[in-house]
Amino acid sequence: MRHYSTAYPLSWRIFDAVEALAKRVWPARFAPWLPYLLLLPALLVTGLLVIGLIEIADSSLHVLDKATFRSSESYSLENFERALTASLFRNIGLRSFLGAILVTAVTLVLAFPYAYVLVRTESPILRKLLLIVLFLPFFIGQVVRAYGWLIILGNEGILNTSLSFLGIGPFRLLFNYWAVLFGLVQTMIPFAVLMLAPALTAIPKETERAAESLGANWIRTFQYVVIPLARPGMVGAAIVVFTLTLTDFAIPAVLGGGSNDFIANAIYDQFFRTSDAGLGSALTLLLIIAGSAAVGVALLLVGIGTLGLAGHDDD
Amino acid sequence: MTDRSKAVVLWLLVGFSVVTLSAPTAVIIGASLTSGKIVTFPPDGLSLQWYAQILGAFDLRAAFLRSLYVATVCTLIALPCGTLAGIVFAKHRIRFRKGIQVYLLLPFTIPLIGSGVGLMLVFGAGGLLGSLWPVGLACCAINLPFMIWAVAGSANALDPDLEKAAANCGAPPVQTFLTVTLPAVMPGVITGALLMFILALNEFLVSLLLVDSRIVTLPVLIYNSIRSIITPDLAAISVVFVVVAAMVIAILDRLVGLDIFLKSK
Repeated sequence: MRHYSTAYPLSWRIFDAVEALAKRVWPARFAPWLPYLLLLPALLVTGLLVIGLIEIADSSLHVLDKATFRSSESYSLENFERALTASLFRNIGLRSFLGAILVTAVTLVLAFPYAYVLVRTESPILRKLLLIVLFLPFFIGQVVRAYGWLIILGNEGILNTSLSFLGIGPFRLLFNYWAVLFGLVQTMIPFAVLMLAPALTAIPKETERAAESLGANWIRTFQYVVIPLARPGMVGAAIVVFTLTLTDFAIPAVLGGGSNDFIANAIYDQFFRTSDAGLGSALTLLLIIAGSAAVGVALLLVGIGTLGLAGHDDD
Repeated sequence: MTDRSKAVVLWLLVGFSVVTLSAPTAVIIGASLTSGKIVTFPPDGLSLQWYAQILGAFDLRAAFLRSLYVATVCTLIALPCGTLAGIVFAKHRIRFRKGIQVYLLLPFTIPLIGSGVGLMLVFGAGGLLGSLWPVGLACCAINLPFMIWAVAGSANALDPDLEKAAANCGAPPVQTFLTVTLPAVMPGVITGALLMFILALNEFLVSLLLVDSRIVTLPVLIYNSIRSIITPDLAAISVVFVVVAAMVIAILDRLVGLDIFLKSK
């Protein structure tokens, strides 16, 4: 017996036991279903969000009873009517949409050259530096970055103090629409660059050289060769930036100072200030529909493959 | 319209982006080192007093530990969920592939405020609001595609013949998985886990919706504080985020190379 156990090490016996257990739990005839079993945990975790959507939809159909401050039992579409007609929400909606359009345009103008230099530079050190500059704010988080902007742009902040040495100012740089848009552009540049860079990588250098050797200057090369070829990346970047901006909370809250709210801030206020969960849910649902529609269009236009889950391209 | 003008225009725009991206970080590091009582410019002098201060500040330390806990819970849930799903997507032919893919990308297509409000209602109905682990679960649910993407990338690179060879040599399925598949996808697993950890550590909006005043996480605490008065101790604690972010970037660079994000499909 002793001889047997030395010839047959412990790790083997553990493996055998594990295999036997695996066979017990999931017999070979279930093998075709194994991939679905392995997917199950991810499906369940993501399922939380689906249940969340159902809860939001349910909550949006109950009106807050002002007398008892409870949600009514009966179903109605009144919350949606208020969300779509109240001038407060119309203003906030317009402000968010206009902001999202402006931020998308400016972000693309800044992200395109960044991605271009990132992809085309010959220097590995420069490329690494540009990547670090890109990732660092992305990993630091929005609140900490907004805090940095408060220190820079405040009435007694770095910028105003520096300007006062020159005898100008002080200017009110914070808590206005432009501060919010600026903060949003800064937040969105990394997303846009990361969507654009793979599209630019796919354009061979020779294509640009060919245009130049045929006499096109660099502006015409960009206009007629690089930008059209990078269009899938541009569209993807634009729609990602647009939806992220439209639904942002932290930047309008911190840099807008309460008077430049976006839709997400209005939703938060409905839940935590006026305690009107029904109206808040209706606003959330409308925003989700607007946001998902935009992302859906993006995925249809540039393909789901952009987000890189696909293993086989056979389907 | 020479190459010179191209370089000037490109570099002006890139330079503006670099300054804009880096300015808040640089300023926070600077502000944390001031010896004054408030954040002023130019600084009153250099000192590490605010770092000593945050070590003694109970609420800051407690909030930081809570954020670490949330990030750990999130990563521990994401590890099995994302690894298995990533391997399945790269290795197996499954029915309804497109549909499952769209479903698993829901966390990216639903706006963050929508996911947060939904989870708040779900956890509220389940009586889970007020405890901390559901915040970690929520962070996992909203960022899971990152983990799946990272693992699928590694699994795609694994030659399927290796697994067949192992099976051919007599290795049963579990052993093949543990000794061939799992080690091969490890870079992806670590990349994904790092992303999940740092994104959960920083997660603000979903935290804000799910925590109450007794269990605020660090980003929520910073948010609540900067709305009143800006003090340098907040800058010092923010530097902790900067350091963690820098560490994650360094590890990612060593592990998979930052250039991976530039590759075209």
